[in-house]
Amino acid sequence: MRYWRKRHEGLDLEAELRAGRPEPSSEFVHRLEARVRNDGRRSRAGSLRVAFVGAVTAVMLLALASVGGVGYASSAAQDAAVSVKRVVTPKDVIQIVKRGSAIDQYRKPKAKKVKKAKKAKKGKGTKGRVRARTRPPFTG
Amino acid sequence: MLRRDPLADPAPLIKRVYAYAAYRLGDGPDAEDITSETFERALRYRKSYDPKKGEPVAWLLGIAKRCIDGSWSKTEYATEDVDSPDTTDLEEDTIRRLTVSRAVAALDDRDRELIALRYGADLTARQIAELLDARTNAIEVALHRALGRLRGILGADEPEAVRKRGASQ
Repeated sequence: MRYWRKRHEGLDLEAELRAGRPEPSSEFVHRLEARVRNDGRRSRAGSLRVAFVGAVTAVMLLALASVGGVGYASSAAQDAAVSVKRVVTPKDVIQIVKRGSAIDQYRKPKAKKVKKAKKAKKGKGTKGRVRARTRPPFTG
Repeated sequence: MLRRDPLADPAPLIKRVYAYAAYRLGDGPDAEDITSETFERALRYRKSYDPKKGEPVAWLLGIAKRCIDGSWSKTEYATEDVDSPDTTDLEEDTIRRLTVSRAVAALDDRDRELIALRYGADLTARQIAELLDARTNAIEVALHRALGRLRGILGADEPEAVRKRGASQ
């Protein structure tokens, strides 16, 4: 207490705290600074590389579009897709049918044609037909 | 639109983060470790820095605070022993620095953090309030009280070495 009062009476403690702020060693600062700068350079180089590739692609697309290359390329791609499709999915499937004596017997029955019932005509005739049906059957 | 790099000028930022860590943990390897860890995290998440939320130093101090509160919360404050060195070889300002450092170490965590942010990292009360999610006025009052307690500690705690020197004179 005596020490502090004697040596630092009237001393601004805030100024003392600022002045006595701990400082890192210069070696530590240089090392960490180099690390931070290297990382920044690397990330900047990476983003520059991506930007360059993007720019080159855009220029190429523009150049192609100006001479109608885009349409040509798309039609070529479509043709290629059709060719591939033709190769992968064969059109005519050969069905092997075993010939035998029972082949006619067990052939699938043909579907019967069902005649459509004639629709009753509307109008004058309808009334007459209805009357005929209502008449009792002839018993002899 | 190009984004502003928060670590464009790292040297002053390193010094401020180190000063903050040193006021909280003590000057030395622990503070260096925290500073390194803070910058490693900052490099990893540098794209997440939002200039609208504050200055790069406030962003870094937020990271440093989390580093200390997380893994370093149980670390004891590393104080240099004022009594052990031969005081006749030490400059007066060195003794003073050590005395202040020891007094800061005697403060509680909250006071030490405020002192570290205000006088170590050199943040304004407003910046501290933003960082700690408190009101500026409350921070100013808390800082005033912390300084009062620090004065009390400095007044009561006289270094043994100085007493010895006083006795020899």
